[in-house]
Amino acid sequence: MAGVSNPIEVHGLVKTFGRTRALDGLDLELVPGEVHGFLGPNGAGKSTTIRVLLGLLGSDAGTATVFGLDPWRDATEIHRRLAYVPGDVSLWPNLSGGETIDLLLRMRGIDPRGTRRDELLQRFELDPTKKGRAYSKGNRQKVALVAAFAAPVDLLVLDEPTSGLDPLMEQVFNECVAEHGAAGTTVLLSSHILSEVERLADRVTIIRGGRTVESGTLDELRHLRRNRVRAEVAGKVPDLSRLEGVHDLDVDGRVVSASVEPAGLPGLLAALTAAGVLSLTSTPPTLEELFLDAYRSTS
Amino acid sequence: MNLMGTGLLLRFALRRDRVLVSAWVLVLLATVAASAAAAGPLYATEAERVAAAEALDASPAIVALYGPILDTTSLGELSMAKMTVLYAVFVAFMSVVLVRRHTRVEEETGRAELVGATAVGADAPTAAAVLEAALASLLLGVLAAVADIACGLPVVGSLLFGASWTGIGLVGAGIALLAAQLSSSARSVGFLASATIGALYLLRVVGDTTSASWLSWLTPFGWGTQLSAWSQPRVWLLLGYLLLAGALAVGALALRRRRDLGSGVLPDRPGPAVGSPRLRDAAALVVRQQATALVGWTVGIAVIGALMGSIVPSIGDLLDTDRTRAIVEAMGGVGRLQDSLVFAIASVVAVVITFFGIGAVTRAAGEEHDGRTETVLATATSRRLLLLAVGGSAVLGSTWLLLVAGVATALGRGDGFGAVGASLVQAPAVWLVLALSLLLLSVRSRWAVAGWALLALFVTVGQVGPGVGLPDWVLGLSPFHHVPRYPAEVFTWPPEVVMTAVSAVALLAAWTRYRSRDIG
Repeated sequence: MAGVSNPIEVHGLVKTFGRTRALDGLDLELVPGEVHGFLGPNGAGKSTTIRVLLGLLGSDAGTATVFGLDPWRDATEIHRRLAYVPGDVSLWPNLSGGETIDLLLRMRGIDPRGTRRDELLQRFELDPTKKGRAYSKGNRQKVALVAAFAAPVDLLVLDEPTSGLDPLMEQVFNECVAEHGAAGTTVLLSSHILSEVERLADRVTIIRGGRTVESGTLDELRHLRRNRVRAEVAGKVPDLSRLEGVHDLDVDGRVVSASVEPAGLPGLLAALTAAGVLSLTSTPPTLEELFLDAYRSTS
Repeated sequence: MNLMGTGLLLRFALRRDRVLVSAWVLVLLATVAASAAAAGPLYATEAERVAAAEALDASPAIVALYGPILDTTSLGELSMAKMTVLYAVFVAFMSVVLVRRHTRVEEETGRAELVGATAVGADAPTAAAVLEAALASLLLGVLAAVADIACGLPVVGSLLFGASWTGIGLVGAGIALLAAQLSSSARSVGFLASATIGALYLLRVVGDTTSASWLSWLTPFGWGTQLSAWSQPRVWLLLGYLLLAGALAVGALALRRRRDLGSGVLPDRPGPAVGSPRLRDAAALVVRQQATALVGWTVGIAVIGALMGSIVPSIGDLLDTDRTRAIVEAMGGVGRLQDSLVFAIASVVAVVITFFGIGAVTRAAGEEHDGRTETVLATATSRRLLLLAVGGSAVLGSTWLLLVAGVATALGRGDGFGAVGASLVQAPAVWLVLALSLLLLSVRSRWAVAGWALLALFVTVGQVGPGVGLPDWVLGLSPFHHVPRYPAEVFTWPPEVVMTAVSAVALLAAWTRYRSRDIG
């Protein structure tokens, strides 16, 4: 590691539970100020990675640093600079939501009185006087989110944070992440909800089976991928099957659709022009498709 | 009533509780057998029995605790005196624990919803919980009767005594079931049920020790004595248990129908919208979690201590017959006898107080299991502070309770503050058990519950061991065995220092392990 350390650096991380290899050489790198999507199916190792980064779990091999520090040794120092929202929030049954929020803030060394907690309670429409046991899953999530968003931090670690939130509250969540992002906070956003990540993330890392499958900006990942092209031609559909870089060809009358690698586009367009193209649409892959593609290529 | 799936849920409950129920039943059976076996040789002649029984009946404090002995000639009644009333409380608590565990706890955790969404009947979970408690009570009653018969007590009396235990177990189940409908908090349900049992016990205490003796007929804890199992029994009184338990269950079911799953009949009070500045770190959080329990324990221990202490001065008068006087003189006079009693009280109360400490440790394991420890440790809270808070609440809380017990005993006795020393002398043994529990928690959070098993083992060894002649090294397994028998004997430092040192080593090992293990 040279120069200023990144908020999060993970290289070749291995974590085993008995015979299960939860993390198998995982890599993850966050640069300062970015919102980083951390994607993977259930059981891919997202939460395990986060727990290692928080110093709750030890690792068996590889390195992991947060702010250039060792999360195992320097946990409290690191935690002063971050806020964490677990995927499954469990609250103290006999503490009210307001008490829990203030306690979590104070345990991070922050005086709740100087924070945005009241504003956030309103935005998330959360009643802080209810006891922990009385909250629904979504409302438990909101308690943790308000505590995390209430004060400025250097790093937000959000583990599937919107599970249980309705779409309106998801919108509030998105705004909060954007506000923190604009203020220079680095955000690690673990999720399997692709649209949420697509909207918020600058870069994504896709993992599966404890390994990193893909990592980069959405543009970079798209660059490597095929566009879906659909065209209608005036005359007879020419034989496109021999063209380089054209896949999944489907001809239905005068309508043709195919997945096209960037390198195959010139040849395809030339053939379509010659056939008298009437309409043409080209769609970049959604994150969903990147995701499925990444899974397919490693399974 | 839609009871579909009750059998399946009952089998599932029995499987989940197989260790808990077996341990509870076995410990109670061991005490029954030990009492029954010890009484025969101790009171061989009728004259001895009458003397002992009259002595017990003459002390209001003992009657308050154990209830009176109606037939002073009966060996069975004398030997089961403690079991009939005081230990019946533990039988009732077994049912409370089982019913609460399978009703309100399941609702609070949301598991009841999971089960309720399957093809089981709406009343099946409740029915399964009650059936399980009833089965456990029946098993305990039958085995207790068998143990008495095996130890040579009369058959009819033994069966009726066993039936009274089954009865009080059923009543306990009814109380817990009703409490489970009232509050949406599992902790409050436990508190409500415990308080009800305490109140019913107190009602009997008043009835048995004052002229208002009819009060004892109003509480199931009085029925055990009034049943008169060992001579001229009032068998019809057994119906009382059934009717009361049935009425409680019917009432609970009616309430159950009128409320939603997860809610209680009593409204949930809102909490403060803003946290107090004092609730600022893990230590304050642990204190907050334990405060209510500690207040309840302080009151309970103070009452028990005062009650026990008030027995002490009368012990000399109790045994004031020609023959016993000779024995007492041989043992070092009445003063020495009182000191022995003070030691005995302190050692029993110390074991009870250890329950509080282990409860504090296992609570921390629950926090970790539920993911709240993770939330705390993801803040700037260090593992050191968290373990210190948990260990501190267990150790300091227990030590405080020992002090309360000592002071209360001393006040009850009304003769100086020697009892305070007697109680505090127990501290190193309590610390050692708690240090071992913390070590279990630190090795693996799931192991923390083994702290209960450890305590049960020590208690059983201490209670039953001397009676059945276990070898010294087995008795020595229990830390409580090594406590100096102060004030009955002179106080010696070595065992206290050694136990404190071993506790310190165990705590150090716990810390070393806790800082280096995975959380969750």
